[in-house]
Amino acid sequence: MMSGLPLWADLSFSVLPQQLVNGLLLGAIYALIALGYTMVYGVLRLINFAHGEVYMLGGYVALFISWQFGFTQDALMQNSTREGSLLLLGLMLIASMLICGFIGLLIEFLAYRPMRSQPRIAALITAIGVSLLLQYAGALFLPNSPPPSISEKVNPYRGEWRITLSQPSGESVAALAAAKATLDQRTREFDEQIKQERSKFDLSPAGVAIRDEKNRADQEFNKAQTVVNAQRSEIVLPRGQVVMFITSILLMLGLNLLVNFTKMGRAMRAASHDFDTASLMGINVNKVVTLTFFIGSALAGAGAMMNTTFLGTPMTTFSGVQPGVKAFVAAVLGGIGSIPGAVLGGLLMGMAETLVVWLGYGSYRDAVAFVILILVLLFRPGGIMGSAAVEKV
Amino acid sequence: MKSFWPVRLASIVGVVALCFALDRAVLAAAPAQYRLLILASLFVILAVSLNLINGITGQFSIGHAAFAMIGAYTAGTLSKNPAFASMPHPQLLAVMTLLGALVAATFGFIVGLPSLRLRGDYLAIVTLGFGEIIRIVTNATESLGGSYGMPVAPKVQFLWWSLLLMVACIALCRNLLKTTHGLTFLAVREDEVAGLAMGVNVTMTKVVAFVIGAAFAGAAGAVLAHTEAFISPRTFPMEMSFIILTMVVLGGTGSITGSALAAVVLFAIPEYLRTLTDAQGKAYEMNAGLFMGILVAIMIAVAASKWIQTNVHEKGKKLGFYAGAWLAVIPLGFLFQTILHLSPTLKTLAFGIDILRYAVFAVVLIALMLLRPQGIFGHHEIGWHWFRKRPVPATEGGAA
Repeated sequence: MMSGLPLWADLSFSVLPQQLVNGLLLGAIYALIALGYTMVYGVLRLINFAHGEVYMLGGYVALFISWQFGFTQDALMQNSTREGSLLLLGLMLIASMLICGFIGLLIEFLAYRPMRSQPRIAALITAIGVSLLLQYAGALFLPNSPPPSISEKVNPYRGEWRITLSQPSGESVAALAAAKATLDQRTREFDEQIKQERSKFDLSPAGVAIRDEKNRADQEFNKAQTVVNAQRSEIVLPRGQVVMFITSILLMLGLNLLVNFTKMGRAMRAASHDFDTASLMGINVNKVVTLTFFIGSALAGAGAMMNTTFLGTPMTTFSGVQPGVKAFVAAVLGGIGSIPGAVLGGLLMGMAETLVVWLGYGSYRDAVAFVILILVLLFRPGGIMGSAAVEKV
Repeated sequence: MKSFWPVRLASIVGVVALCFALDRAVLAAAPAQYRLLILASLFVILAVSLNLINGITGQFSIGHAAFAMIGAYTAGTLSKNPAFASMPHPQLLAVMTLLGALVAATFGFIVGLPSLRLRGDYLAIVTLGFGEIIRIVTNATESLGGSYGMPVAPKVQFLWWSLLLMVACIALCRNLLKTTHGLTFLAVREDEVAGLAMGVNVTMTKVVAFVIGAAFAGAAGAVLAHTEAFISPRTFPMEMSFIILTMVVLGGTGSITGSALAAVVLFAIPEYLRTLTDAQGKAYEMNAGLFMGILVAIMIAVAASKWIQTNVHEKGKKLGFYAGAWLAVIPLGFLFQTILHLSPTLKTLAFGIDILRYAVFAVVLIALMLLRPQGIFGHHEIGWHWFRKRPVPATEGGAA
């Protein structure tokens, strides 16, 4: 299993900036989902297990809309020049957000509202039940094998930006060019030789010598290439993912405005601070809860739409589980109940995940979330931005 | 009290004899069900041991499948050892069960430790995370077979052994509750702070609950490994933990007999559905429109029952209302089916009844939580005292 820790020297530091950026992009999606967890927990003290499934459904909404506009495999086969547009993307985003918002509302109204007077564990089990129901009933009705994914043609922002952080030195570029020239030379010689041989696999001693020469030149070339690659450090930013990141940030800023500068936002903060007192102060807490679920689910829907469209993730009805759990961990990491905390936690989670892959433990990437969760809960249960107050009994 | 030991001894002998007799009887009468009965008794062990943690001690744990997985992999790895492999099968199974229990108990201790600081939903998510970590690490470990799984040799199927284990598990939990130590478990569930004030060692109690629960789950896992002769991370998915949780919740959190009964029922239903085939030997299929229609009808019935529960107080009227609400499910289901069949895709879509089971579990879980969150039996036990005239004072904290 643990075939030795990766040696410091084995790590490729030139790809580290790229990995961090990838982590940031992934983290933006986690942050969007985490906001839903943290808002619901803040108001109701309930871990909304079904939030990951709302996210999953958001992906399907986006998929169906893209199909409706002729981005199915078959249609693309006939008309390969079809291109997405900003309008379609906007439609997908808004539809995902609205439909997810209403699904969240429905779940709250049907499953969680009757449980509000019950012990919190009963509500938690209900949430698990809703989550299982959406996964498995969804698996019966939604297309999931083979997992469909949104055609990349939907995204009009293809292509990428490159940011060069460091160029390879002149010497190593020259060395690479020289190695390339030698390799070409040797390859030509070998090709000449092949013509005189009986077959590729049965070489004369002269042929063997030339082949060995060629292989050596190949190795030299690879070595020079590695040196150049290690010195060249650049960040590749696919344009779609930049759009995704900017949209996420805008949504989060919008949420921030809503929570901090509107009357409803003030009501939400009050309910989150003390649910019972807020209701005594004339705040319609049911309306607050409804709005909280709607906004949280809509943000998850936005995250799902952008993840499936710009990162091209294939969908099954179970694909909401892992992002859901990771986003929940992100919310706990940032301090559950705290909106800036959820954003910070999400970004950190995304980066932690890509860093683990970078360290060479790719098969453990899904376990990182839980390790972080356990560590946070053991050492700083309040999270980074949350208050350290212990829950009283 | 004079007759305590003779009675106890006689009942032990009786139970052992009964287990063997059942084993023989099943082998003679229904050998095809032999394996299924073993699995059912293992699920009873899993449910009752989770009940000890969840229902009796009130520590919400949803990673129980991980303990079974640890037990199973312990048995799978150690039975390869030549020292064990040469043993006769009954001894081998016994030793593997013990070792599986021991290793799982160690992990139970480790998981029990965070429960000292965490409560409620945080503990739940940590136990879930623990289960996932175990599964992911196993999945990535080549020496344990990785995601391909690993064959377990020898294949040992002994119904009497799993029955004995089941009886031991139930008896231990039942008897524990009659001792001072057992009462501390209930005290921790009912009120941690009050218990602490009364001199209950809360820390100790929680950890002991986790250790015992994990040990039995590990034992069940070890037997499962030898019964199936093959284990993989997919044998113990996250859903397995949820199924065990459903069993506990359905039976009544805190009711040992309730969770045992629920485990049998919830294990039997999907297995029964799997055997259902039509005249051509094909699995029965359910029309998607009908499934959705009945689902919606059940949701309406649940909502109606919830309303009846809070608003109707006359007993006879209440029962009549309930009966009406649930009888209406069938015609309503067909009505919705007719409406849903306006959509041509739903009209043609159908799926095997046996693959509906997780969806059905989920519906059961939600309906149960809405209507009777304490489970069917609540904190009560099923027993002879039901048939006695005089109500027996609830010693199991049933009055709570």
